[in-house]
Amino acid sequence: MRVVLRTDALTKRFGPLTAVDGLDIEVREGEVFGFLGPNGAGKTTTLRLLCALIAPTSGSAEVAGMRLGRDDERIRAAVGILTEHPGMYERLSAADNLRFFASLYGLDRPTAEAQVTRFLGLMGLAEQRDRPVATFSRGMKQKMAIARAALHEPRILFLDEPTTGLDPDAARTVRDLITSLARDGRTVFMCTHNLDEADRLCDRIAFFRHRVIRIDEPDRLRAELYGRTVEIRVTPAPLPAHLERVRAVAGVREAWMENGAILVRTDDPLRTDPVLVRALVDAGADVAFVSERRASLEDVYLRIVHEEETTS
Amino acid sequence: MSVVAGRASRGTIVGAVCVREWREALGNKLLVGMTLLPPIVILAAGVFAVAAAAIYPPNEKDLRAIYAAAPAVAGLDPTEAVQGIIAQYFLILFMLIPTVVPLTIAIYSVIGEKAARTLEPLLASPVGVGELLLAKSIASTIPAVLVTWIAYLIYLASVIVLGSPAAVHAVTAPRWVLAVVLMVPLLTALSVNLGILISTRVNDVRVAQQIGGLVVVPVVAIGIAQVTGRVVLDDGSFIRTTVFLVVIDAVVFVAARLAFQRENILTRWR
Repeated sequence: MRVVLRTDALTKRFGPLTAVDGLDIEVREGEVFGFLGPNGAGKTTTLRLLCALIAPTSGSAEVAGMRLGRDDERIRAAVGILTEHPGMYERLSAADNLRFFASLYGLDRPTAEAQVTRFLGLMGLAEQRDRPVATFSRGMKQKMAIARAALHEPRILFLDEPTTGLDPDAARTVRDLITSLARDGRTVFMCTHNLDEADRLCDRIAFFRHRVIRIDEPDRLRAELYGRTVEIRVTPAPLPAHLERVRAVAGVREAWMENGAILVRTDDPLRTDPVLVRALVDAGADVAFVSERRASLEDVYLRIVHEEETTS
Repeated sequence: MSVVAGRASRGTIVGAVCVREWREALGNKLLVGMTLLPPIVILAAGVFAVAAAAIYPPNEKDLRAIYAAAPAVAGLDPTEAVQGIIAQYFLILFMLIPTVVPLTIAIYSVIGEKAARTLEPLLASPVGVGELLLAKSIASTIPAVLVTWIAYLIYLASVIVLGSPAAVHAVTAPRWVLAVVLMVPLLTALSVNLGILISTRVNDVRVAQQIGGLVVVPVVAIGIAQVTGRVVLDDGSFIRTTVFLVVIDAVVFVAARLAFQRENILTRWR
């Protein structure tokens, strides 16, 4: 896949504070890219840099094929951003808010009208199109802000906490929109604290605290940090002898008993699991089931951030 | 559906921002009230004063004071003299309208956007900050100039109907007509850019209005000086004032443009 966003030692300092320190990333076309990090890590500053809203102190970046610092207006036309706060014009109706932004992006009137209708529909706000935004709930305003960011069908959509303040139904609508945009070849660059959502949506994830700590696919990060854990239930209960037999199997990195089950960490469950089952049956155990237990992205996040804190 | 987005023309952007500003302003009853109140009060007071002067002629003591303060009306019929002076005095008060009205609109335009956090999405679009500043200036200037001109035309019509020939002569004097045509937009632009400049530094509309309100001081001072006879507003003083306003307008606009930087707005404005 083509790279649509590339940064090279991108750095932003505010006086003595370095908010972004030598950022080097590549994001591909059609990818949903998660940008995770604690509060104050510089995520919003990174988004502002990549959307040509603020200038870098040093380093360079290419966004949608255009050079940051040289083609800033063209970059802003080619990307869309959901800012931290919805920031809608409260006295205007939902449709008028979107029409206003459509005119700034140079959409002609029929196209603008079609896009306004389409995105209000996608966000479930078609019925409220003529209501002033002041009468909307926080979640509805957030959906409006997402519609505004995607209205001109940007090549890269930057989303800062897209599902904050949304009820589960609305959050699902937003997730569906992100998935469909990626399917259409749009790139989504997403900052979020919702790790479950990042796990479900993102093709790759960068853990960030002023600089990139780790970047990879969620499953590869899990495998790298935790291996793959297999849970084996034997009836009526596992014995110490069973555990010893499991530990002796080739490919087992670690094994322990927890809540009446044997847990096995292995790099290649497909190859190891049948051997484990045979070993346990040979040891006289009745195997009830074998399943894979996945470390959550939260576990991965906390471990990476904690390790980074310790090393720095 | 495939959409070709880009950057709208400068005219489209400025027009869209202006129309959006006006629609938002019209929905703000407080702002509409604060915009219309000063011209209504000044107009009503002016018309009432000219009418009252026709009904109640001055006494001998007042007349002597008037002749001393305004030698140009010496020798005129007392009622005519008083009407002429009052009519001209209120013209100076009309110069307060382009200082007060646009200041309020400009302050609401910037501080309102700061409070609603609408500036970041706007700045993330392909709008240039210069275009945004220009649009905000135009959106605040046009209503203020129109309100002042309409108030002046109503005043003019009222003086023609109610006033003496001296009063009519005073309000239709070419230098005053030119002052209304030229100085009103210049004063308005000064007030607007001053309002924008102040709004970049403060977050409270009332504080901004208090600071910006200082712009009326020179206008009031000239009015008092003229009434007390210390200053005679002749053609020369009008030309000097106009040139001074052009220069100060340019200086304040440049200062507002320097304060109105994308990065400053996003990272330093609070």
